[in-house]
Amino acid sequence: MSDFPREEKIKADIEAKFGGAVSNALVQRKNRVWLDVTTEKLPDLMAWLKANSFDHLATVTGFDEGENLGAYYHATDTKLIVTVKVKTPRANPSIPSILKTFPGALSYERELEDMLGIKIDGLPPGRRYPLAEDFPTDQYPLRKDWKTEDYLAQQAALNTEAK
Amino acid sequence: MSKITIPLGPQHPALKEPENFMLVLEGEQISGATVNLGYNHRGMEKAAEGRTYLQNLYLIERVCGICSHSHTTTYITNVEELAKCETPKRALAIRTLFAELERVHSHLLWLGVAGYEMGFETLFMYTWRDREQVLDCLEMLSGNRVHYSINTIGGVRRDITPEQKAGVVQRINYLIERTNYYIKLALEEPTVAARTANVGKLPLDVAIERGAVGPTARASGLARDVRKDEPYLIYNELDFKLITHNTNDVFGRLVVRALELVESYKMIKQVLNDLPEGPIAVKVPMRIAPGECVNHYEAPRGEDIHYLKSNGTDKPERLKVRAPTLANLQSVAYMLEGGWLADVPLVIAAIDPCMSCTDRAAVWNPKKGKTEVYSWEDLRKLSIEQYRKRGVDFTRL
Amino acid sequence: MKIIDKLITWSLLKSPWILHFNSGACNGCDIEIVDALTPKYDVERFGIVLKATPRHADVLVVSGPVTRQQAKRLRTIYEQMPEPKFVMAIGACGCSGGVFDGCYGVVPGGLGNVLPVSVYIPGCPVRPEAIIDGVVKMIQSVEAASK
Repeated sequence: MSDFPREEKIKADIEAKFGGAVSNALVQRKNRVWLDVTTEKLPDLMAWLKANSFDHLATVTGFDEGENLGAYYHATDTKLIVTVKVKTPRANPSIPSILKTFPGALSYERELEDMLGIKIDGLPPGRRYPLAEDFPTDQYPLRKDWKTEDYLAQQAALNTEAK
Repeated sequence: MSKITIPLGPQHPALKEPENFMLVLEGEQISGATVNLGYNHRGMEKAAEGRTYLQNLYLIERVCGICSHSHTTTYITNVEELAKCETPKRALAIRTLFAELERVHSHLLWLGVAGYEMGFETLFMYTWRDREQVLDCLEMLSGNRVHYSINTIGGVRRDITPEQKAGVVQRINYLIERTNYYIKLALEEPTVAARTANVGKLPLDVAIERGAVGPTARASGLARDVRKDEPYLIYNELDFKLITHNTNDVFGRLVVRALELVESYKMIKQVLNDLPEGPIAVKVPMRIAPGECVNHYEAPRGEDIHYLKSNGTDKPERLKVRAPTLANLQSVAYMLEGGWLADVPLVIAAIDPCMSCTDRAAVWNPKKGKTEVYSWEDLRKLSIEQYRKRGVDFTRL
Repeated sequence: MKIIDKLITWSLLKSPWILHFNSGACNGCDIEIVDALTPKYDVERFGIVLKATPRHADVLVVSGPVTRQQAKRLRTIYEQMPEPKFVMAIGACGCSGGVFDGCYGVVPGGLGNVLPVSVYIPGCPVRPEAIIDGVVKMIQSVEAASK
């Protein structure tokens, strides 16, 4: 697989440094590396990436995987994108914050809390994003068991009263 | 001096989307700023999971009216990667043409808005009048001035005829002349410099720290542009410069966008001269094999990144969109702090927010002991008046 | 009609002042509305002026599907406008929710479910000529009603 030497090197360096915490590391194609890491090691891995030229956190994708809730951190040095995936159990989802390394990640972490209900440890208090102020705080739209139709049906009653 | 907190919230007379800024003032200086969003949240990512890939094309286009092509192209690139289809070269070239035309229309729009925020209304009228040329090109090529929907899964929807090519080139030549005038204006007109120099400072290390993208970052010397870093479409075959500037302020952002216009004109002509022959689309099956991918694109405002996960059906499993302005907003809070209240409209407009900020600013005046309400228009007038007192007057131009 | 009403109607017909409000739009319609003010279409020659505060406006021009976050603010702005007042729904989103129909973040059914709308202008986005046409039709209907 020496078609992608740079990608292979990054993958190897991460595996060497973080050993057992990293799994499923894969060079998907040119400029794309994907890997899983445990939630405990996430802040350290992100700090390592930043120190090794991956200083731009493009975005964080939250995803409902069923038993677990996932958060995928897409970090780039603008050429290569490394996607770091963490999983946390649905029953009690919690991920440490990476704001110390990437202060620009504030909106992305708030979005994980609002849309999927993943608690981010270390997130400073503040207004929710992106949901509306009056959106119920115990409903998480991006979860697979949350149906738009049910929510709209609930709201229909309220709307006709408001007009 | 006592501190006042002003909310600068979701209603804005000079364009776009709603957002809210909480500014803490000491006298006329801003000592703290926080950004609050969510006024434009429609629930598109969730909706995308319930629609087919083709339907989502039209939904994703409407994430933003100004950079709609950016979003559809990034999305389609993801879909085509998962479907493992070979998009024809001619289609990629046509997509590039539209991408650069979109950049031109967006930067001209911004020049006008920046002019308006400064009080330079003539510039606003001139640039928007010239922008009509680009909109005519887009309408001629795609059928619509905004939301061109030129993409389809596997290629583009419409081909370009030689007459259309000639029409576009003629308009671009006119625009090149006009843009040279704007560049001269930006670089030589002292009133423009007075309003924009040293305003909204964003040093390089803060830009990297806070994840700034696009012209906002390039004006701080950060040489990042997805078109050069990870060339997509046919950018690896085009000859163009990556424009950066080193003044870290609104003036820098003005210069970067004006010079990017020149590069875009060059690219449009190159694409039209060397348009590869061949089909404009290939057939792609409705169901996309399971997989995931992430792709980014240099939209006029900066890096636009999409993540897509497919599950073997004709509907996506997860679609994530991160538009460039979200990445720049954390930098805005930094830029506002330490600045003057009079500079607020221009600093916010300088990141070219794909958002309208209309709202009222409620200012509590401790001397008078009551709350006065300023609309964005009042704040804008206040800023123009303040600068006029210092000798910066656009009405003489 | 009393003299004052006649005066108000006359000034509305001759020079309607508009307030533009973006209720969660993608900006497509917004840039076409602003475009209508620029030299190629130039609605100011018809007396249409863009105002910044609802208290000076005759017509509320709303673009976009109404997002929940904006719905309350939209009603507040509408209530602050003095009578007689009119509402124009710009674009497919205002007419019916457009492409966002069925999304949880928007009020279902478009603008008509939040405010009493006088004119619906379809399009995605609306062409500036259609905006001018809509304003003209509205003025004509006011004129006809006042006779």
